[in-house]
Amino acid sequence: MRKSFDTVDTDVLVIGSGAGGAVTAATLARDGRSVLVLEEGPWVDPDALEPFSLPEMVAKYRHGGSCAALGRPAIAYAEGRCVGGSTEINSGLYHRLPPDLAADWRRDYEIDEFGPDALDRYADRVEQELGVSLLPGAPPPSSAVLERGATKLGWRSVEFSRVFRYETNGRAVKQTMARTMLPRAIDDGALVMADCRVDRLVRNGPRVTGAACVQTDPDGKPRGLFVRAEHVFVCAGATQTPALLQRSGIRRNIGRGLKMHPTVKIAARFDSLIDHGDVPMHRVTEFAPGLTIGGSASRRGHVALALADSDADYADALAHWEHVAVYYAAIRSEGSGRVFTLPGFRSPVVTYQLTEGDMSRLARALVHLGEVLLAAGATEMYPSVTGGGVARGADDLVQWWDALTRNRANLMTVHLTSTVRIGEDRAKTGADSFGRVWGYDNLRVNDASLLPEAPGVNPQGPIMAVVARNSDQFLSEA
Amino acid sequence: MLWFEQEVVAALMRPDLDADTRAAVQSYVAGTLHSMPEHLRAGVLAETIALGGRSWIERRTGRFDRDRLLARLTGWKHSSIDPVRQYVRLLESLVLFAENELAPGSS
Repeated sequence: MRKSFDTVDTDVLVIGSGAGGAVTAATLARDGRSVLVLEEGPWVDPDALEPFSLPEMVAKYRHGGSCAALGRPAIAYAEGRCVGGSTEINSGLYHRLPPDLAADWRRDYEIDEFGPDALDRYADRVEQELGVSLLPGAPPPSSAVLERGATKLGWRSVEFSRVFRYETNGRAVKQTMARTMLPRAIDDGALVMADCRVDRLVRNGPRVTGAACVQTDPDGKPRGLFVRAEHVFVCAGATQTPALLQRSGIRRNIGRGLKMHPTVKIAARFDSLIDHGDVPMHRVTEFAPGLTIGGSASRRGHVALALADSDADYADALAHWEHVAVYYAAIRSEGSGRVFTLPGFRSPVVTYQLTEGDMSRLARALVHLGEVLLAAGATEMYPSVTGGGVARGADDLVQWWDALTRNRANLMTVHLTSTVRIGEDRAKTGADSFGRVWGYDNLRVNDASLLPEAPGVNPQGPIMAVVARNSDQFLSEA
Repeated sequence: MLWFEQEVVAALMRPDLDADTRAAVQSYVAGTLHSMPEHLRAGVLAETIALGGRSWIERRTGRFDRDRLLARLTGWKHSSIDPVRQYVRLLESLVLFAENELAPGSS
């Protein structure tokens, strides 16, 4: 029996509503194009749930937050799965793409029109549209810790800008895609459809004619939907974009070369109380971009997880969790991974292989993180290394050099990139300099997948700038 | 969630939690395991069957004891076999996160 599908027509189909999809949709809708945005996850009111809380993880995170890249060791990662994508769940830290990195990528991947001037122009536009700002007052104690420790050691630190606006009553409001770009796109005529998963793209020679989808009704009932489109932008993120392309039979240089920022953590205890409502905005940049030190979400649940990762006796520290905060050190990794689909499985398999150099860098990162926290006054530090040992002084840090092994390291990341790289070097890339998938006239990728390498900084800013650039190029060509 | 997974979660929970919180933690862990990527869930299920076989036999013969299970979990947590260590870490992480987030004043 043949299944019946509702059919929808649109000029531009955008798959995914995060930093890539929302910026694409807003740019194209503003130009008068007919745009339909499909988002696999639900619409969740951005004010409805406490940031980083358990209800937020259940509602907005892909797989409830329980994803991992397979490898030795496995690396846990988190992604958003809701209208607005990962911008709804991240810390909102914003950083431009370092100019030397842009120059390296332009050379190594032969990317056209990828100069610092062009990227800065788009970064200016994104920053103006979103509202990128520094904290209006003094930093909270959890953030001041990093500044204080770095100053004592003579290391550089900086307060990062964030995509936040501050209301007159002092309330900080993160400028997520559900609050900014998507409402603007809707005002300009775009349609956003939540709870709609794209199973595969339908191809006809060098063109994609549409997408076969399943939309889940509010009562939980799935129904088939076929979207016919003149142009398709896949913006589902670095794991889901290559998975969708592969499910659709598009595989050339798709899903290879996954990059990320592998991260180690420390739960640090202080004599004084630490705030837990926000993520620290200071970063220690002494070793950047190869190694960056910062702070993580530190609700009671996160503190408990970080303490347990050390496998030390943490009962007393957890009883005084208001004095404990979680900090991280992230590296730029030499290793790489893959995203691939298995027949009959909805979720792609994600793998990542760290090199021996990466393991050495992670050990160094852990020790440096310990040094800065000790200098800031930490009295106890629990590393995310099973059996790593609690450090209470500089002498204790030495043990961490040998403790961080593949069998004992508990690693995570939130930054995944580079599974459909851009550039004119067809041997290395899955799409041209502006994200058009090789071999297809009307199929583009426009999200974190395009970045040729992990940038060593929070990738949200670089993603948005590149996406805005590609969207403008599409409009100039179409 | 399989019987052995429920027992592992129960063993890992703080004993002072009230019945409602214990049920909420069980529900959260069950929901998260259910929503895992299929290949990861398949791996967890395979480990549940492999590691839980002895406990299952003990249950069938009326000799199952949760304290004994907790002692085994402690051993597995320090195993040199990474997947075994990660099995306990996964379930312990879910339990810890839930029981601490469900506690009053968690932020």
